[in-house]
Amino acid sequence: MQRRLLGSAVAIVATVLVACGGGGGAQGGQRPIVIGVSVSLSGDFSGDGKALEQGYQLWADDVNAAGGLLGRKVEFKFVDDDSSTQQVVTNYQNLITADHVDLTFGPFSSLLTIPASTVAARYGYAFPEPAGGGPQVFSRGLKNLFFVQPAPVEDNLVSYVRWLLSLPAGERPTTAAYATQDDPFTQPQLDKARQLLEAAGVRTVYSKVYPAETSDYTPLALAVAQSHADVVLLGTQLPDAVAFVQTFIQQHYNPRSLIETTGPDQGAQFSDKIGLANTEGIMVPSGWWSSARTYQNARFVKEFIAKYGGTPGSISADAAEAYSVGQVVAEAVNRIHSLDNAKLIQALHSGTFNTVQGKMSFDSAGRPQGQGTFLVQWQHGQTVPVYPAAIAIAKPEYPKPAWS
Amino acid sequence: MRLSGLALLLGVAVAFPIGLPGPATVNVGVFTLMYVGLATAWNIVGGYTGYISLGHAGFFGFGAYALGLIVTRAHVPAGVDVFLLVPLAGVATALFAIPVGWIALRTREATFVIVTIAVMFMLQILATNLRGLTGGSQGLAFPVPGWGAAFDVPFYYAMLALAATSLTVSWSIRRSRFGLGLLAIRDDEDRARSLGVRTEVSKLAAFVVSVALVGMIGGVYGYYVTYIYPQFVIDPLIGIAMVLMAFLGGMGTLAGPVVGALILEPAQLYFPYGLGQSRLYLVVYAAVFLIVILLLPRGVVPTLGDWLEQWRSHRLAEAQDRPRGDEAVVG
Amino acid sequence: MGPSLIIGAAALGVLTGGVYALMSSGLALIFGVMRIINVGHGAMVVLGAYLSFVLLRDWGVDPFLGLVVTMPIMFGLGVVLELVFVRPLRADREALSVLVTYALALGIEGVLGYLFSADYRQLRVSYDTASFAIGDFRITWVYVYGFLLAVAMLLALFGLLYRTRFGAAVRATMLNRTGAQLVGIDVERVSAIAFGIGMATAAAGGTLFGITTAFNPDSHYDLISRLLTIIVLGGLGSLRGAIVASLGMLVVEDVASVLISPTWADFTFFVILVVALVVRPQGLYGVRVRGAA
Repeated sequence: MQRRLLGSAVAIVATVLVACGGGGGAQGGQRPIVIGVSVSLSGDFSGDGKALEQGYQLWADDVNAAGGLLGRKVEFKFVDDDSSTQQVVTNYQNLITADHVDLTFGPFSSLLTIPASTVAARYGYAFPEPAGGGPQVFSRGLKNLFFVQPAPVEDNLVSYVRWLLSLPAGERPTTAAYATQDDPFTQPQLDKARQLLEAAGVRTVYSKVYPAETSDYTPLALAVAQSHADVVLLGTQLPDAVAFVQTFIQQHYNPRSLIETTGPDQGAQFSDKIGLANTEGIMVPSGWWSSARTYQNARFVKEFIAKYGGTPGSISADAAEAYSVGQVVAEAVNRIHSLDNAKLIQALHSGTFNTVQGKMSFDSAGRPQGQGTFLVQWQHGQTVPVYPAAIAIAKPEYPKPAWS
Repeated sequence: MRLSGLALLLGVAVAFPIGLPGPATVNVGVFTLMYVGLATAWNIVGGYTGYISLGHAGFFGFGAYALGLIVTRAHVPAGVDVFLLVPLAGVATALFAIPVGWIALRTREATFVIVTIAVMFMLQILATNLRGLTGGSQGLAFPVPGWGAAFDVPFYYAMLALAATSLTVSWSIRRSRFGLGLLAIRDDEDRARSLGVRTEVSKLAAFVVSVALVGMIGGVYGYYVTYIYPQFVIDPLIGIAMVLMAFLGGMGTLAGPVVGALILEPAQLYFPYGLGQSRLYLVVYAAVFLIVILLLPRGVVPTLGDWLEQWRSHRLAEAQDRPRGDEAVVG
Repeated sequence: MGPSLIIGAAALGVLTGGVYALMSSGLALIFGVMRIINVGHGAMVVLGAYLSFVLLRDWGVDPFLGLVVTMPIMFGLGVVLELVFVRPLRADREALSVLVTYALALGIEGVLGYLFSADYRQLRVSYDTASFAIGDFRITWVYVYGFLLAVAMLLALFGLLYRTRFGAAVRATMLNRTGAQLVGIDVERVSAIAFGIGMATAAAGGTLFGITTAFNPDSHYDLISRLLTIIVLGGLGSLRGAIVASLGMLVVEDVASVLISPTWADFTFFVILVVALVVRPQGLYGVRVRGAA
């Protein structure tokens, strides 16, 4: 009896699945271009996922307002991957083989990009992505992947190191403290920065890697504060970025310079937790900032605020990165007058593209060859680029003012 | 009759990927069969002995890392060869599970549940910290076979084979004296021991078999998603899902976990896909779940079985024109 | 890195341990009275944090003062949840309760995500960076207030349990549910109220949690795993155990974090837990019942 139940259950489910799987054919005529994307709307990456979705959608709206791409409207099919590997794989499978989307754009973080890009490669889809730039992303031998940011992730702190070492001898820091999450995004950056600084003679007085799942950062922050280092480099996401600063404030520890890999670039979500006055002088590496005079950036900022509210300072870099993906693809598609993925992949590997993050091109593994990241610093309640001098709007503040 | 029913089942399952369904559906099939195997294997411990383990996800990940490390260290090329090494991952998981299980099974009921959770987190921490071995939080890469659009099909069959193995093992345990001993442990462990059941050994054997199967399934999973990270492959949600499915379908029964997996896993994959944008899918999922638990507390299979029996006995009484002993109204 | 760092970490451990003690006391109470494992407790703490957040953001109410509002609300919610979702469970209570409370946790997470999105929040008060010095070391006043509040609430809870008739009924139910029924105690009513009290303590814990930590709807997963390990170490159903285990765990973890390494601190804790349970399966203060733990 149990087996009969089992049999009928299997039959029913199988029928339903076949019915669901078979559909999705194309209609002729001016049907819209559908772009499939898996975004993290729940789970660990949900804050960034939302920003990606906003950036992507804004790009689609702009393109459509200008007459569409190749004369057709652009539509997104967004699905939630719950920040999970399993789901992201299923999502792109479905988008490509069941929904037959024309193009695919990438999800959030190297963690999800790696499995997702393998799925896209299997079907020959181009995979331009805004947020997967850890070293492993490029070591998989994939030819269809393009990381749309000004530099591979591990080089993010190189500008900071150059700036520190360019300070006059009397002001240059002699000691440094490093703490980073055990994360494929943050750790490579810190490792590289530490190597470069140690080679230049800056003594490491504290260096720790902590689990990404840590819930209480206070003991770590205490240890950093007690090291009395001249400068502090932190590999963080938003919650720990906030927690470290809060503890530094409580402990009255004033490093001469503080840089965090993510957190200070999250606008209001960062500043309203530590107080706007306390943001003064904190630095973050960035590939984009709201006042940059890059391609279509002023328009992007204005429209983003009109559509989603907030201030220029509250726009997350994730949204700009997503927007850049759209820009790159639009430029490539317009050059080759085609949506064919194979041709698109070829086109993306050659030439340069203009984005709100600046000009960039891609090497054979998909690594961006852009102008590299810059240093952005909070000054008087705004984030401004301060280094290198060629693109700086203000001079870097050094040493960082004491907490208020 | 039973055998022909079984053959039909197997036939449907084997024929499934051939023909109509696209890769996306086969993909759902892979994950569904994965959970069929996981829920059935978990049931060997949770359902038969009554020891609820919420930490099986740790062994799932252990198996994934075991296979990944074997394959990368031995430079096994991508392709069918990797599948042949899966049993090795199962053996590795089994060996690891012996001391761990022995320690954990010294506790009972609620404490056991939490010890299993602790073991799972410990495994996750080890996977993250032993960077030289596992790659740490940077993850571990599996070789990627170049099977093109039919990529999912071999994985489907691999999962089918493992699910069939789990079912066969579960079925033969259930029919055996060993299985009887396990059920006795579930009912009353001290009484079982006093009646001569070798409880320590039996519990441990069930545990080791269960996690070995789970570890093998974990290995195939790792190969399928091509890249594993400690926090994603040792995921409490996977551990809870397999328990939920066994519960839903009917713990301790043979078909229960299978039914539970067939219902929940496609739902779990389609809900975020269809409803995810509204972010309310969690609420819907939870609501459906609560309704089922409250209405079918013993699980789908036993409850449906009960209803079927009740209906049958009414029909029988009717046919024999006997006065019915209960007050039930003819439906 | 000197002794002052260790003292500082230990002090921090004690202060945050107090907050965890408050959160886990509710969990221990619920288990003691109803023999159910409320894996949704973490979600309820987060819910309490969001309630305080709304009061602060929309009406400017200080989180500590706002407890006067949030605690009764959560108490009522707890009673309702118990009546609707827990009471109907008859057979296999312990096991099914895990699933039911997990579904509740998911539901709460979904609703919070819908209402507040995944943005991280924190309860900011004007005095949250004020601190005083002990030697080389600074302690924030907020942690001290939180600790004092936790102590006060726990004392109140103990007072309730040991000085009132209702408390006697609760303790009787915890010792022997059937026996309590036989002497005329309405165990169902006691259960519902105990669940409500558990939620109320979660509300208070949530407020304190929300002041010191950035949170979002997902934060309950990490929380519940720590709370569960605490009450198991302390002995399921034992309030005293929950308090001792909370303090112990947080101090060990914070000190290990600065002394050894943060990556191994959690691991050390779990090892201690497993070893302790093997030696003493009922936990520090638990009671051995006929061989079962």
